Amino acid sequence: MRHIPCRSAFHIHGERNQDATEHDQGSVPAHLIPIPTAVLMPRQRQPARFSSEAPSESSTSSTSPDRTADEDTDFFTAQANDSQSSVGVATRDAHPHHDTDLYLPPIGRLPPEILIAIFAKLSSPSDMLSCMRVCRGWAANCVGILWHRPSCNNWDNMKSITASVGKSDSFFPYSQLIRRLNLSALTDDVSDGTVVPFAQCNRIERLTLTNCSKLTDKGVSDLVEGNRHLQALDVSDLKHLTDHTLYTIARNCARLQGLNITGCVNVTDDSLITVARNCRQIKRLKLNGVTQVTDKAILSFAQSCPAILEIDLHDCKLVTNPSVTSLMTTLQNLRELRLAHCTEIDDTAFLELPRHLSMDSLRILDLTSCESVRDDAVERIVAAAPRLRNLVLAKCRFITDRAVWAICRLGKNLHYVHLGHCSNITDAAVIQLVKSCNRIRYIDLACCIRLTDTSVKQLATLPKLRRIGLVKCQNITDASIEALAGSKAAHHSGGVSSLERVHLSYCVRLTIDGIHALLNSCPRLTHLSLTGVQAFLREELTVFCREAPSEFTHQQREVFCVFSGEGVNRLRDFLNRIIPPPPPTRDMETEATMYDDDEELEDEENQVTGLMHATAATAIHDDDYIDIGHTHG
Amino acid sequence: MADTPAPYSGPMLTFISGDGVHIECERDVAERSLLIKNMLEDLGDANEEIPIPNVNEAVLKKVIEWCRHHKNDPPSTGEEDDSRRKTTDIDEWDQKFTQVDQEMLFEIILAANYLDIKGLLDVGCKTVANMIKGKSPEEIRKTFNIQNDFTPEEEDQIRRENEWAEDR
Repeated sequence: MRHIPCRSAFHIHGERNQDATEHDQGSVPAHLIPIPTAVLMPRQRQPARFSSEAPSESSTSSTSPDRTADEDTDFFTAQANDSQSSVGVATRDAHPHHDTDLYLPPIGRLPPEILIAIFAKLSSPSDMLSCMRVCRGWAANCVGILWHRPSCNNWDNMKSITASVGKSDSFFPYSQLIRRLNLSALTDDVSDGTVVPFAQCNRIERLTLTNCSKLTDKGVSDLVEGNRHLQALDVSDLKHLTDHTLYTIARNCARLQGLNITGCVNVTDDSLITVARNCRQIKRLKLNGVTQVTDKAILSFAQSCPAILEIDLHDCKLVTNPSVTSLMTTLQNLRELRLAHCTEIDDTAFLELPRHLSMDSLRILDLTSCESVRDDAVERIVAAAPRLRNLVLAKCRFITDRAVWAICRLGKNLHYVHLGHCSNITDAAVIQLVKSCNRIRYIDLACCIRLTDTSVKQLATLPKLRRIGLVKCQNITDASIEALAGSKAAHHSGGVSSLERVHLSYCVRLTIDGIHALLNSCPRLTHLSLTGVQAFLREELTVFCREAPSEFTHQQREVFCVFSGEGVNRLRDFLNRIIPPPPPTRDMETEATMYDDDEELEDEENQVTGLMHATAATAIHDDDYIDIGHTHG
Repeated sequence: MADTPAPYSGPMLTFISGDGVHIECERDVAERSLLIKNMLEDLGDANEEIPIPNVNEAVLKKVIEWCRHHKNDPPSTGEEDDSRRKTTDIDEWDQKFTQVDQEMLFEIILAANYLDIKGLLDVGCKTVANMIKGKSPEEIRKTFNIQNDFTPEEEDQIRRENEWAEDR
C-alpha cells in the first residue's frame, strides 16, 4: 500500500502513533483493558467481534444473482474471510479528539471496531459520507465501509468512483479499500478502457462483470493481474474471453473460491486445467455452456479441488460418464451437481460409483434432458445420495415407475422434484411418492400424460405444497382442481393454502368452476397458467392475463393464458362478481398472517438451495415453451 | 419473554461490579453473555463471585435487565444476522430500553462488547446508527458533541472524492 501517494489515513495514523500511549491511558476503550481476572478469558478470540462469527461460505459464491443483488449486506462476512483486513485503513483510529485536552465526548469512548459496527448499520452511502465528514477519526473508520462496495449502478457514479480511484493525491487510498466491485448494471457501457482505473485495486475479493459483454481479455486481465485476494469472479456471458483470462486467473488468484464463466464459449480445457491446479480452494464452479469443456478439465477439477460444493455443467455436451463418476466419488462436500443437457451421460456414470459411497452432502442434482439416464441410474443415485432435496429428472423420458419408487426412499428429505416429460409414470407411482415424501413443496409432472385425477387428489394431500406443475396432463378434470382447493395444503397453518404457483396449461378438460374454487381457497396464489384451456380463452377473462412474451407467434398468442401477481387477484374478484363464490371451505380470517408464515417457509427452503435460484430460469422448465418468460415468483 | 420472569429455581451467580457492588443473577440469564457462558463451561460449576471490573453497577444492572428480557431468544446464527444487518429496526421493548442518556448508551455498548452479548451489542449499534441517519455532518457533530478537526479544504476534498455516495 505504501506506493499509493496520498494524504491518507496513514498520515493521520502517523500523527496518532506518536501519542498513542498517552491516548490509551486517557480513555481506555474496553477492548484494550487488560482482562483483570484469569477466569474471564474469552475463548481464543477477541471479545465480541460479531463480525467474526459470520460463516464465510456465503460470501464466496460468484454465481448467484440473488446474492450479488444484496451484496451490501455481507460486509462482515467478507471481513471474516479476510482476517480483519477488510476495513482497510480504519481500525486504529477511534477517537476523534485524541490529541487534545478537550472534553472527550461520551462517543469518544467507543473503540474503532464498535464505531465500524455502527457505520456498517447505515445502509445508505449518503449517511456514510456524512459520517466521514464529521471528523478525521470518523472518516478513517467509515471510509472502509463506504468503499467496501462502491455502487457502480449508474454511469455518473462510475465516473466519480474511477476519478477518485485514479487520483494520485486522494485523501484516502480508495483503490486499496474496494473489496467488491460489481459492474453488471452498466452492461455494455463498460469497455476495456473503462476499467483501467480499477487495475490498481488489487484487494478486490469479489468481482462481478456479468453482462459487461464488451469486455475482452485485456480488460478482465487488467483487473485480475496482481490481485491475490480475489475470491469470487463472475464473468458470465463475456463471450470474448479466451483462455488468456483464465491463465491470468490461475497465475494470480490462489484464493479463488467461486468462478462463473457461463457462456464463455472460447474457453478450453487447457486453461481450465491450469485453473484447477492453481486455484485449489474453489468451491463453486459454473461452466454453463462452455461448450468446449471435456472430461479432461472436469477430471482435473475433481482431483485438484476437493473443496468444491457446487458445480454446474449445464449444456457441457462433451462431458461424459467418467467426469460424473469422478466428481461424485472424490468430492466429499459436493452439495449441488447440475448436469442438465449433458446428453452423453448414461446409467454407467452412476453404476460405476463405489458400492458403499455415501454422499451425505449432496442436496441438488439436476439431470434435465439426460435422456440416457434410466431407472437403474436413479436407483443407484438415491442409494448413494440419501439426503437429496432437489431432484430434477425432467425429460429423462425413459424412466418409469421403478425410478419413482426409488425416489420414494428419499422420504422427508425430498422437497423439490421435477419429473416433467417422464411420460411413463403412472398414478401408482405418484401415490407412493406422495405417501413417502410428504415434505414435497414443489413438484412438476408436466406431460406425464398417463396421470389422472387419482394422482392429483393424492398430491393435494401434501401439506407443504407450494408449486405444482401439471401442464398437458390432459386427463385431469375439475375433480383434481377441487381436490387442490380443498386440500391439506389448504389447511396448512390454520386454513390458508400454501399453494402459490399452479401450472395447468393444456389441461383441456378444466372449466371455470374448478378454478374458481381454487382461487377462493388459495389466497397466496401468485401464478396460474391456463394456456390452451378453452374455458378460459374468453375476452372477459383474458383481460386479466399477462402479456404474451414478445417472441411468441400469433398462434401462440391466441392460446396464451397466464395469470400472475395482481392478475390472479383480479381474476378471482371478477369470478366472484359474476358467480356467487362457493361456500367457503374454511375460515378466511387467518389471511392476515399469511405473509409471516410465508417467509418462514421461504427461509426453510432457502437454506440449502444454493445455486438453485441462480439457474431457475434455465433449469426449471415449468411450462416449457408454453409460458416461458414469466417473471419468477 | 414475559416481563415478569417465571419462578426460577436454577443456580444463581454473583457478580461484583467495577464499583464493588454485588449483584445476583440467574445463571441462564447470565449466559446470554458468551464470555460468562464459556467461562462457566470451562470451570464447570463455579460458585465463586465473578468480578466484572470494567462495568459499573448501574450499567451491569441494565445489561442484566436486557439479558433477562431476552433470555429465551433463540441463539443468534450468522445467517439470521445477515438478514437483519440491513435494517435498523429495533423492537419496541429494546427501543424503550435504549432510551437512556448517551453516556449510559455507550457504556451499555462497551459492556455488551466486553461481555460478548451479540444481541445487545447489535441493538446498541442500531440505536446509534438511527441517531445518525438522515443527519448532516454538522447535525451529527452536534448530536454527539464532536469537534470538527478538518480544515474546510479537507472536508471539501472528502466530499468531492466521495460524491458518488450522495446519490440516493
